[in-house]
Amino acid sequence: MKNFKIFLFNVILLFPVLMFGQQTVKGTVTEATGNSALPGVGIIIKGTIKGAATDFDGNYSIENVKPGDVLVFSYIGFNTKEVTVGNITTINVAMVESAESLDEIVVIGYGTTTIKDATGSVAAVTEKDFNKGNIVTPASLISGRVAGVTVTTDGSPGGGSAIRIRGGSSLGASNDPLIVVDGLPISNSTAGGSRSVLASINPNDIESMSILKDASSTAIYGSRASNGVIIITTKKGKSGFNVDINFKAGYQTLADKIEVFDGDAYRNLIAERVAAGQGGISIEQLGNANTNWQDEIYEEKFTFDQSISVSGALFNNVPARVSWGNTQQPGLRRTSKFERNSLTFNLNPSLADDHLKINFNANISSENNRFAPGVEGSAIYFDPTQPVYDATSPFGGFFEYHTNGIRDNANRNPVANLLQNENTSIVDRLYGNLEFDYKLKFLPELRTVLNLGYDRSYGVGSSILSTESINGFRYEEDGVVSYIGSESHYTSERKNLLLDAYLAYNKELENLNIEATAGYSYQKFMAEDFNTGNKRDPEAERDTNTQPDVVLLGFFARTNLNFMDKYLLTLSYRRDGTSRFNSDNRWGNFPAAALAWKINEEDFLKDSDVVSELKLRLGWGITGQQDIPASYAFLGRHVTGDSFSQYIFGNSAVVVGIPQSKFEDIKWEETTTYNIGLDYGFLNDKIKGSVEVYLKESNDLLANVAVADGSNFSNAGWQNIGKFTSKGVEFAIGSDIVRTDDLNVNASYNLNINQTKIDELAYGQDIEVGGIGGGTGSRIQVHREGFAPYSYFVYKQLYDTAGAPIEGAYADINQDGIINSSDRYIYKKPNADITMGFQTGVNYKDFDLVFNLRASIGNYMYNNVNSSRAQYNLLQDVTALGNIPVTVLESNFVETANVLISDYYLENASFLKMDNLNFGYTFNKFNNDISSIRVWTGVQNVFTITNYSGLDPEVFGGIDNTIYPRPRTFLMGANIKF
Amino acid sequence: MKTKNIFKLLFFFFGTLIFFSACTNELDVTPKDDDEFLSEDFYASKDSYRSALAGIYGNLSLTGTTGPASSNLQGIDAGTSQYGRTLWYLQDLAADEVIWSYENDEGGAVKAIQRNTWSASNTILLGFFSRAMFSVALTNDFLRQSTEENLAARGHSAISAEIKTYRAEARLLRALAYYHLMDLFGKAAFVTENDPIGVYQGPEYNREQLFTFIESELKAIEGDLVGSNQNEYARADKAVAWMILAKMYLNAEVYIGQNKYTECLAYSNKIINGGFSLASNYSYNFLADNDYNEAGTNEIIFPLVVDSKVTQNWGPTTVIINGEVGSLEANAVALGVDNGWGGALRVRKQFAEKFLNGDVPLTDTRNTLTTEGREIEIADVGDRDAGYIISKYKNLNVDGSRGGVHFEFVNTDFPLFRLADVYLMYAEAVVRGGSGGTMGEAVGYVNALRNRANSATITDNDLTLNFLIDERSRELHWEGHRRQDLVRFSLFTGGNYNWVWKGGSTNGIALSSHLNVYPMPANNMAANPNLTQNPGY
Repeated sequence: MKNFKIFLFNVILLFPVLMFGQQTVKGTVTEATGNSALPGVGIIIKGTIKGAATDFDGNYSIENVKPGDVLVFSYIGFNTKEVTVGNITTINVAMVESAESLDEIVVIGYGTTTIKDATGSVAAVTEKDFNKGNIVTPASLISGRVAGVTVTTDGSPGGGSAIRIRGGSSLGASNDPLIVVDGLPISNSTAGGSRSVLASINPNDIESMSILKDASSTAIYGSRASNGVIIITTKKGKSGFNVDINFKAGYQTLADKIEVFDGDAYRNLIAERVAAGQGGISIEQLGNANTNWQDEIYEEKFTFDQSISVSGALFNNVPARVSWGNTQQPGLRRTSKFERNSLTFNLNPSLADDHLKINFNANISSENNRFAPGVEGSAIYFDPTQPVYDATSPFGGFFEYHTNGIRDNANRNPVANLLQNENTSIVDRLYGNLEFDYKLKFLPELRTVLNLGYDRSYGVGSSILSTESINGFRYEEDGVVSYIGSESHYTSERKNLLLDAYLAYNKELENLNIEATAGYSYQKFMAEDFNTGNKRDPEAERDTNTQPDVVLLGFFARTNLNFMDKYLLTLSYRRDGTSRFNSDNRWGNFPAAALAWKINEEDFLKDSDVVSELKLRLGWGITGQQDIPASYAFLGRHVTGDSFSQYIFGNSAVVVGIPQSKFEDIKWEETTTYNIGLDYGFLNDKIKGSVEVYLKESNDLLANVAVADGSNFSNAGWQNIGKFTSKGVEFAIGSDIVRTDDLNVNASYNLNINQTKIDELAYGQDIEVGGIGGGTGSRIQVHREGFAPYSYFVYKQLYDTAGAPIEGAYADINQDGIINSSDRYIYKKPNADITMGFQTGVNYKDFDLVFNLRASIGNYMYNNVNSSRAQYNLLQDVTALGNIPVTVLESNFVETANVLISDYYLENASFLKMDNLNFGYTFNKFNNDISSIRVWTGVQNVFTITNYSGLDPEVFGGIDNTIYPRPRTFLMGANIKF
Repeated sequence: MKTKNIFKLLFFFFGTLIFFSACTNELDVTPKDDDEFLSEDFYASKDSYRSALAGIYGNLSLTGTTGPASSNLQGIDAGTSQYGRTLWYLQDLAADEVIWSYENDEGGAVKAIQRNTWSASNTILLGFFSRAMFSVALTNDFLRQSTEENLAARGHSAISAEIKTYRAEARLLRALAYYHLMDLFGKAAFVTENDPIGVYQGPEYNREQLFTFIESELKAIEGDLVGSNQNEYARADKAVAWMILAKMYLNAEVYIGQNKYTECLAYSNKIINGGFSLASNYSYNFLADNDYNEAGTNEIIFPLVVDSKVTQNWGPTTVIINGEVGSLEANAVALGVDNGWGGALRVRKQFAEKFLNGDVPLTDTRNTLTTEGREIEIADVGDRDAGYIISKYKNLNVDGSRGGVHFEFVNTDFPLFRLADVYLMYAEAVVRGGSGGTMGEAVGYVNALRNRANSATITDNDLTLNFLIDERSRELHWEGHRRQDLVRFSLFTGGNYNWVWKGGSTNGIALSSHLNVYPMPANNMAANPNLTQNPGY
C-alpha cells in the first residue's frame, strides 16, 4: 500500500515533468536547391499516426513531441528525411529532390496516378527528360524518348510532326494519337494559315507529357483512343516567387544538297549526249553561266527563342504563373518565316479551406508566317548554264523562258518564284480551360469536377503574286496579252468547345484503396473557311466553306482497386456517341481492364537488396476510331457546283446540282489491344525500366473503298471493311550509372520492334496508294491482304553480268510472256521494323553534357527524286533544257517511263541520327537574387549515318520527292532562374 | 443533416445527367455550307430540277463540282475520268488515227491503250466505266426525285409537264451511257431507279440485254422528247434518240449478231429529214463557236459542252487542241491557245496516207496535215518531232478571233454526233443491203460531203465498203468513232489491217480477237461480284 502511494506520488510529481517533456516543434520546410517553400509536406512522428503538414509557406507545427521522437518528413518527388527531436523546438528541413521517379505523378485520363501504381502502359516524360536543343514545337520534346513512339518532324519552320504510337491502327481513318492539353482534347484540323496544330504551343510552357500506349489506359477516351493518347500538362504556379528566363540563339545551316551537274559539267554532258545521238536537244539554248540553283534558293539564317515566366502566389494565397515567349525561326528557304508570340496565364486558387480548387489556364498565341513555295524540284531541274538574273527579262529582271513575252511551257525560275510570291498569314489562337474541383464537405472522399475548355484559332492570310511574275493570271485586252499576277485572301476559323463533368471518389480502407470516377464529356468542333479566289480574275468566285459541326459525347466510369499495395485492378468503361454516323450506329461501348501485381511487395522480395521494383501488368481494352474526313456520310445531301463547273442550256449557264454519295451504315472502327508489361528496378532503382509485349487487332476498318458502280454517287466511299493486326515488343532501360557528389552519369535506352499486317480488305481487293511524281496518276504503294500497309509495289529490275541495270527489263513474275502490271510484286515497306532511342547525360560538378541518338532499322525509301529525274531524256524538258541528278551516270537510264516503277529506286533507309548534343555550365548561387544561371551551347541534327543516297532518310510515308531540308543548327543559350 | 445533403447531391447529379442526356440530340448535325443541302431541302425549290438535270448533262463534261481539277470519282484524277476524254482515248487512241507522245502518263495507262497492250487494271478503263455508271446513278436519282408523287408532295405539280421532258432526257442520257458501255465493254451492271441507293450490286447485263433495254427505253421516251433540232442548245431531242438507235442498228451484227440495216436506214432518214443541214465549211464544226455558228445550229446533233469560263474541263477538245500544237511548229496561237503541250499528239502513217496521193497531199479541205519538216514514220513514240500533225480542232471563232481568254481551256465543243456521220451511215447501210434507201441517194450524200470538202466526187461503182471505211476516217477522224468502225469492218483485230505501233510493234502486228472488247476493269468487278470478266482476259 505504501509502495503504491509512493508510486502514485511519483507519478503525480513527475506528471508535469512528463507534460513539459511533450513539446511543440515548429519549423519551415524548403527545397534544398532554390530555397522555395514546400507546402503540403507530410510530417509524422515515427511509429505513430500523429502528424501534420506544412502550410502554404512551408511552415508546420506539430504538438506533443518528445525528445527522442523521430520526425519523418515526406513529399512526393523528394527523398524522405528523418530528424530526431532533441531539445530544440525549431527544426527547419531542406528536402532533396529524389532521383527516384516512381512516385512521380502521371496524368491519365480524368485523373492521375503514380508510375508505381499504374496498371496500364503509360510513360511520363517530364521537363528534365525533354530533348534539349532547338525545340520549336512540342512533339520534338519527346522524339526518341519513349519506346514505341516515333516523331517525324517536318523540316519547315514551325513545321508539324507526324506522331505514331506503336505504328497506328488505321488505314483510312486518322492514325494520329489524341492530344490533350490540360484536359482539353485538341482537334487535328489545322486552321488555314497555321503551320500545324501544335505550332502555337510554346514548348517552354510544358511541364510534362504523359503517353498512354495501351487500351487499358486509353479506353477511357473511347472513340478517339485507338492510336494512343498524349496528355500535355502545362506549368502551373508554385509557392515562392520564381522567375525563369530563357534565351536561345541558333544559326541554321544547310546540311546537304542533291547533287546535280554544275554549269561546266552540264555543258560537257549535253555535248556528249548530242554526239551520242540523243535527239531533240536544243543545244543552242545553253548559256554561259554557272549557277548552283540549290544554293540560290536557300539562305542560312539565325533563329531566336526567348521566354520569361514568373510564378508565385498572388495575395500570398493564389498560385499563379505568367509566361511570355517569342520564337523566331526563319526556315532555310529564302523568304520563309515563322514567328510565334505566346502568352500564358495560370491561376490555381484553392478556396473554401482547400475544398474548392480552381484551375484556370489561358493561352494566347499569335503565329506570323510567310510560306515559301516548294521550289526544290525546279531548283534541281533548272538549267545551270542560265543566270538567275537577266536585265532584259520582262519578268522583274529574272531569267525566264518566254517567247516575246508569252510564257513558254517550261521550268520557272525558282528564285523568282520565292521572291515574287508573298504568301503570309497571321493566326491567333486562344485556348484554355477552367476547372472546378470541389471536395464535398460532408463527404471528403468525394470530389466533383467540372472542366470547361475552349480552343479557337483564327487565321487571316493572303497570297499575292507580283504582277511581274511569269506565273500570273493571263489577261488579254485588245489582243495584247499581259500577266497580272494573282491575289487572294482567306480567313479560317477553328473552334472547339469542351465540357467535362465527373465525380471522383477515393476511399482508403485498411487493406484496400478504392478509387472510382464517373462522368460525362461533351465536345463540339466547328470549322469555317472563306476565300476570295483570285481577285485579279474577273470570273473568280468568293466562297465560304463551312463544315458541319462534329459533336462527340461520352459517358465514362472507372474504378481502381489497390489491395494491400500488392494487387491492383483497374476497370473502365466508356460509351461514346459521335455525329459522324447515323443514329443506329453512332454509339459505341469501350470497356477495358487491367491487372497489376507488385511482385516486389511480396514477402519473398520485399526486403531484397537487388530487386527494388518488379511489377507485372496485364491489360486489355477496346478502343474506337471515328476520325475520318467525312463528317456525315450517312445523310442524303446535294451539292451545287461553283462558277467554273456549270453547264450551258440555251444561252445561259446553269448551276449543276449533284447528289453526294451516301453511306448509311458506317460505324466505328474497333481496336482490341492486349498488353503484358513487366516494370523492373534493380539495386534500389539504380537500374530501372520495363518490357512490354502487345497485340492490337483493328476490326471494321474505316477505309475509302470501291462500291459497286451505279448504286451510289461515287465509285468509292467510306465503309467498314478490313482487318489489321499490329504486334510488337518494347524494351526500356534507364540507369543512374554513377551518382556521386561530383559526378553523375545517367543513360536511358528504348527499343521497339513492331510488325503490322493487313489481314482483310474489302473484296480481297488491293488498294493502290502512294502517288509519285514522274507521270500523272502513278502510284508506288499498295495495301494488300497479308502484307504491311503501304508496301511498295514495283517491278523487279534485271541486271546484266556486270551488275548494271538493263533499262526497262523486268522479271516476268507470272511467267506469262508479257511484262505488264501483273508483273509487279511487293517488296519492302516504309515503316521500320525496329526503332531505338538513346540518351545520356553527364554531370560533373557544374558542367553537364547531354546527347541523344535515334535509330530506325528496316525502313525503306522510294527515291522519287532519282526515279523521276535521273534519266537522260529529261535533259530536254518540252521547250527548255533541264538539269538532272548525277546519279544518272550510275544507271545510264534514258527514258523515265521505262524505269519509274522499278525496284532499282527502292533503297534501304535505315539510319542512326544524333539529334542533339548539348553542353552547359551552371553557375549556382550567382548572387543572392539569382539562384542559378546555366549557359549552354549545342548542335541540333548533329549527324546522320545511313546508306540512303538521297537527302534525308527520314521522310514520312516513304516516298522522297524532295523535302524541306532539315537544318543543322548551331546553338547557344542561357537559362536564368531567380 | 448529412442524409439531406446526400439527397440534395444525388438529385443535383441525376438532374444534370438528364440535362446532359438531352444534349444527345446535338449529335444530329446538318449541312452548314451554302453549297451543300440536305436533299429534301435542295428539292424544295422548283428550279432545282433544272439544276439536277444540268448535273446529269454536266457529267458528260465535268468531273466534279469545284473546278476542272476536282473529281467526284475517287482513285482517279480529273484527267482520267472525264467522259468525253476517256471515250476518245478508248475509241481513237487505240487505233490508227492518233498517237500520244507522253507514254508514262497515268502510270502507263495511255501507253497500254495506244499499243493495245491493256490489262484489266488500266486506269483509263476504270475511269470511263465509273464515269458512265455515274451517269446511270445520277439519272436514277433524278427519276426517283421527280415522280408525280414527289412533285405533288413538294407542291410542284404545276411544272409537271416540263418535268416530263426532263425525265425523258435523263433516261436518254442513261441509255447513252449504257450504249457506250455496251460498245466498249460488252456488258455492264444494270441499275435502275427502282434499286436502292448505297451498296446495291446490280446484275450483269450482256450485249443482248443491254441492246434490248436501250432500244425499248429510247422508243418509250421518244414521244416525250422535244422535236428534232428544236430543243435549246446542248439539250437532247428526238434526233439524239434516233441517232443512238441508228448507231445500234448499224452495229447490230457486232452487238447481237443480227442484220438490222433496214432499221438503221429508217432512223437515218428520220434524222436527215429532221431539220439538219451541212455547214458550208467543214471546219466550222470544230471551232470555238461551234455552239452557235452554222455548224452548231444545223449540223451538230449533240455536242458535249466545253466553255473556258463556266464549263472548264480537261476534256477531249482541251486535250486535242493543246495536243495539236507541234513541237517544231509552235503553232499554239494559230490554234487558239498560249502554249500547247509540246507536240503531244501526232498521226500514224496509215491515217496520213488517206490524205496523200503518193507523196502529194490531197486538196481535200478535211486534210489539215502538216508535213513540212517532218517524216511520216514514227520510230520512237517519245520523239515528238517524228510523224505528221494535224490542225482539225481550233479554239478560234469563224472570224479568227480566239475563243475565250484562258491560256489553256478552250471554248470548242466536242461534236459527239453530227449529220455528216448520218450521211455515211446511210450509205453504208445501203451497201450492206438494208432496204429503205437507194444507191443513188447514198452516192448523193457522200458527194455532198466531198463537194463541201473540195474533193473529187464518186460514182456508184466507187461506193464500196473499202471506200467507206476510209471515207469515214477522212470525214470523222478524231471524233470518237474509229475503233467502233474498225470492229464493225473486222479490221480492228486480226491482221487484215495493221497500223504502226498496233500491238506495241513498230509496224503493227495482228491482234487476238478477244481485244475487240475491252476487259472489265478490275476495280469495278471487285466491287460487284455479279460482273464477270470478258473472255481472253
